[in-house]
Amino acid sequence: MVFGRRPKDAVRRLEDGADRDELRAEGTTAAVIDASIEVDEGQIFVVMGLSGSGKSTLLRTLNGLLEPTAGTVRFDGQDLTSLSDKELRKVRSEKISMVFQHFALFPHRSVLENAAYGLEVQGVPRAEREKRAYEALELTGLKGWEKSWPDELSGGMQQRVGLARALATDADLLLMDESFSALDPLIRRDMQDQLLELQKTLKKTIVFITHDLNEAMRLGDKIAVMRDGRIVQIGSAEDILVTPANDYVASFTQDVDRTRVLTAGAIMTDAAEALGSTAPDGKKLATAADLLAAAPATVGLDTPIVDLFTPCSTSTVPVAVTDKAGKLVGVVRADRLLAVVGESGDQPTAAAVPAPADRKPSDTQDKKPGNAPADHDPEGKVITGA
Amino acid sequence: MPRVPIGSWASDAVDWLTAHVAWLFDFVTTVLNGFYTGIHAVLAGPEPLILAGIFAIIAWWLRGLPAALLTFIGFALIDSIEQWDETISSLSLVLVACIITIAVAVPLGIWAARSRAVGGALRPVLDLMQTMPAMVYLIPGILFFGLGVVPGIVSTIVFSMPPAVRMTELGIRQVDEELVEAAEAFGTHPRRTLFRVQLPLALPTIMAGINQVIMLALSMVVIAGTAGGGGLGGSVYNSLSSVDVKLGAEAGLSVVILAVYLDRMTGALNQRVSPLGRRALAKAQAALGGLKFLRWKPATSLATVGVVVLALVAGGMGYFGKSSGNGTGGTDGNGRSISLGYVNWDEGRATTYLWKEILEQRGFKPKLQALDAGPLFAGQARGDIDVQSNAWLPTTHATYWKQYKDKLEDLGAWYDKTSLEIAVPSYMKDIKSLDDLKGKGGEFKGKITGIEPGAGEMKILKDKVLKDYGLSGEYSVQDSSTSSMLAELDRSIRAKKPIAVTLWSPHWAYNKYDLTKLKDPKGAFGSGDSLHMLGRKGFSKDEPQVARWMKNFHLDEGQLTGLENEIREAGNGHEQDGVRSWLKKNPGLVDKIAPSSHVSYAKGKDAGKSPNIGYPAWDEGIATTYLWKNVLEKRGYRPKLHNLDVGPMWTGLSTGQIDVETDGWLPVAQKQYWDKYKKDLVDVGPWYDKTSLELAVPSYVKGVKTLDDLAKHKDEFKGKIIGIEPGTGEMKRLKSTVAPAYGLEDFQVTEAGTSAMLAELQRAYQKKEPIAVVLWSPHWAYSKYDLTKLKDPKGTWGANNHITTIGNKSFPEKFPEFSGWLKNWKMTPDELGSLEKDIQDAGKGNEDKGVQKWIDAHPGIVDKMAPVK
Repeated sequence: MVFGRRPKDAVRRLEDGADRDELRAEGTTAAVIDASIEVDEGQIFVVMGLSGSGKSTLLRTLNGLLEPTAGTVRFDGQDLTSLSDKELRKVRSEKISMVFQHFALFPHRSVLENAAYGLEVQGVPRAEREKRAYEALELTGLKGWEKSWPDELSGGMQQRVGLARALATDADLLLMDESFSALDPLIRRDMQDQLLELQKTLKKTIVFITHDLNEAMRLGDKIAVMRDGRIVQIGSAEDILVTPANDYVASFTQDVDRTRVLTAGAIMTDAAEALGSTAPDGKKLATAADLLAAAPATVGLDTPIVDLFTPCSTSTVPVAVTDKAGKLVGVVRADRLLAVVGESGDQPTAAAVPAPADRKPSDTQDKKPGNAPADHDPEGKVITGA
Repeated sequence: MPRVPIGSWASDAVDWLTAHVAWLFDFVTTVLNGFYTGIHAVLAGPEPLILAGIFAIIAWWLRGLPAALLTFIGFALIDSIEQWDETISSLSLVLVACIITIAVAVPLGIWAARSRAVGGALRPVLDLMQTMPAMVYLIPGILFFGLGVVPGIVSTIVFSMPPAVRMTELGIRQVDEELVEAAEAFGTHPRRTLFRVQLPLALPTIMAGINQVIMLALSMVVIAGTAGGGGLGGSVYNSLSSVDVKLGAEAGLSVVILAVYLDRMTGALNQRVSPLGRRALAKAQAALGGLKFLRWKPATSLATVGVVVLALVAGGMGYFGKSSGNGTGGTDGNGRSISLGYVNWDEGRATTYLWKEILEQRGFKPKLQALDAGPLFAGQARGDIDVQSNAWLPTTHATYWKQYKDKLEDLGAWYDKTSLEIAVPSYMKDIKSLDDLKGKGGEFKGKITGIEPGAGEMKILKDKVLKDYGLSGEYSVQDSSTSSMLAELDRSIRAKKPIAVTLWSPHWAYNKYDLTKLKDPKGAFGSGDSLHMLGRKGFSKDEPQVARWMKNFHLDEGQLTGLENEIREAGNGHEQDGVRSWLKKNPGLVDKIAPSSHVSYAKGKDAGKSPNIGYPAWDEGIATTYLWKNVLEKRGYRPKLHNLDVGPMWTGLSTGQIDVETDGWLPVAQKQYWDKYKKDLVDVGPWYDKTSLELAVPSYVKGVKTLDDLAKHKDEFKGKIIGIEPGTGEMKRLKSTVAPAYGLEDFQVTEAGTSAMLAELQRAYQKKEPIAVVLWSPHWAYSKYDLTKLKDPKGTWGANNHITTIGNKSFPEKFPEFSGWLKNWKMTPDELGSLEKDIQDAGKGNEDKGVQKWIDAHPGIVDKMAPVK
């Protein structure tokens, strides 16, 4: 995606190996370069990067607000870049909706009218669109505020209206452009929780833009880190944290509260390692059952490691990690726990955290409850940018 | 630095446009005029107070009760100071201009907001429109669109467009881009985005722009007054040019009331039409406590009902009130309109209102327009003004006359006692003549207060007068304007300060102040101008009667000053009352100035009767018969004319088939018939006793005065006398008696008939060839040509006839009134000659027209010929 004069020339030059700064010197801005991403149905895909990294531009190519200079956007089996304006508008009104950073509510419309806006564009009759807008507002917790005006609401509430407006159209794909960035931290957290809560039932495909890694980690099933218009790394939160692709990503992850992001499943070691050892009371831990009985705590795969510290400190027996069926799948020893937390990105090498290195990114898909299994058929959302 | 002739380019461009794109301008003029007329008709229809009520309801709806009351009081005040019509005109003009401006400006602003290129291209154009002084394009506007409201509307549009475009562009650009993006992200069509998101949100800004448009339009309306835009602008302009503080204050106050009303209403309109405005309004009302009824505003529907009810009342009153007729004018005009323009000087106003009254009495619909000389001449050259009544020629208005004279026609001077001069207050005791000014420069601070720099008087003063009197170094002439000069004069006189001003006579200043006209012993100012009536080209053809009246129109000094005084006493807005009271003191003047052809004639006693009138095809017979036909018709008779040969006519008279004929030549020429039928006839009475038979030659044939002379000059005349019909008494007499007596037997007398003789006469007359013709008096040929009747010292032509009216015996009984008129009827040779000539000029088949023209030229003739009680 290139802005400025003679964008096609710029693309050619980029292909020839020119970099962003060279182009900028000539007055052209290459906002997004060679970004190929793939978002699966029902997934929250977070694009993270600092401002100017091209993430918002990337997002706007997804619904055709901006047309990529080169490359394609495929959505639901359709190439959006090849659609006429009219077809594109139809896709936008019915299948893709958007939530904006500064809410972008229409000040001359009531809350209800705002929420019903997408439906109005679709041409849904008044009675029905109001009913659906009521439902959407109820869903976002704004019941009773329908007759109010946007300027009478707090920021968080306004964004709920924005969210309701996006949800009301029943679009499959939700584009969220730094949607929570303008909110106070506490409200932001509430909104994130609410989004996750909603996602449990709605199972939308969401592309979420943020510059806040914590938010990315909280929300993202998959995270793409962007820098200078290019995608540096795509992976799950743990991937980014545990195996950052380069120093840039690693420096990014420094301030992240790993104990809340990393899960027991991500740092656990093989249970066999603990079998055969002796409990403090001298009892031999020969079987998985022994271990489960002796362990100070038994946790699930996705328990954040922040919850492991207390059990670890009370016993020398490692904490047991079980799958949903209650079967022992691994253990977390106190020294391992400390090692992971203490490493804090100084030595971002796979060696320090060897265990999960061989995990494939797709495995993370069953990490969150209710997530659909991997779905790579042609019906899946395929998004490619260049 | 070479001269870049931008001015001539502009002037050429204007000329070219006037010549080649006239159809477009005409079209625009028609459309705008129609638009204006429509709106004006609606607004001017209702009674002032009802319309004020409607305005008040609108104010209530928009701003609440106090605003409504103030509105009503304001407009009632306008009505009371008699500026209502002007205010409505101005309001209509503003509305038309604003509607068009907004219809153009808003889309333009939207376009500019969406396209940077358009916005960029538009900006310098808007700057030009906004800053170019309006007077600069007002004059070309007159050339393009004519005088009246249209150039005013056009320049108002030009002037008030920029803020509307700019504010629209700004308003739309100001709409949060994220909102536009949001609309787009939900698949909104760009047009819908514009109408549902951008425009509603930009509306407050756009409304501010519209408010600006209205205010600018109103300010422009005043300027448009100088181009004949009328309305309050006209009043203000009038008050300026006549230093009428009273009118100025009233017109100015009306402008203010209208401006404040429009400003507050459009300001508040935003709260009604824009969603954001409605929100703000609702908030404000919710926050309100106490005295709520003051802020209570009727809902839109309620206000609409109120307006409609009042409008219906107005409509009803208009319908029932329109029963009064439209006056008792004559019928010469048949309601044709004639537009009179004048420069708003006293003498101009006086004559123009005088003519307005005269023309109205004659059934015309005159329209008056006071204008500056420039627009006046330009407008008249274009044909918008039919007549201007106070052109100062040859000096003061010389430049205009030179420029436009091809498109104007001079209807003659009606006043010739004007003079240009320098005047000082008479308390400057020792200054009586221009010579006295010398050496007094210090007293006057070396200043002579002048008028408009373009005026002819200023030119003469600077170029000639100062030099001739050696004042050049000592005095400088200050360019100013007539009104400023007068104001300065007034100020100085109050302070008893020395002042010298350029002035001219007649001028009201001489009545108002005690001034000394400085004598001009060297005649440097030249002989004074005459006041001319100027018609547009073709006016005297289109309105021959009026043109004739105006050509004959003349006022003397006493009449003019008397008229001016009456008008001034009647006060502004009542000029015509002043004219009427002046006319009352000068009875019969209207008939003298404008002898009417159709003054409503009283019916005769025997109106409705149909006398059968016979006439021979001789000129005096045709003339008098048609004259009586017209007179009788005016008296309600229905005369029937019968053109007959002499013999059959006498027979008809005797049997009573013909009641009367006017062309009886007795006692000589038609003696035979009279003798034969006289027992059945009656001689009503002779009306012409100077008939004679004669030979005539053109006067340029020198030395031929008598029949004897003719014989001597036989060769010159090639031995020919052009005769008439061979059977007539005159021809017989010529051959039998006259010719032998004077030795003319060897002349060849052609026998071609009267018309051939006249044709031959005309041909010879044009070539100045000698010719001798058989003629008789009365004959129109004597009016048309300069002819010598050859004297007949021997009296061979016999005793003179008189022409008498012969009636059937029963005629006096059957038509007592008519026969009474005929009995007392006389015509002089001049009257008959001019009547015959007018009929001749009108051409065959148009005898009535010729007669009418003659009657017009002889006011009172009908009453004289056919008096009724």
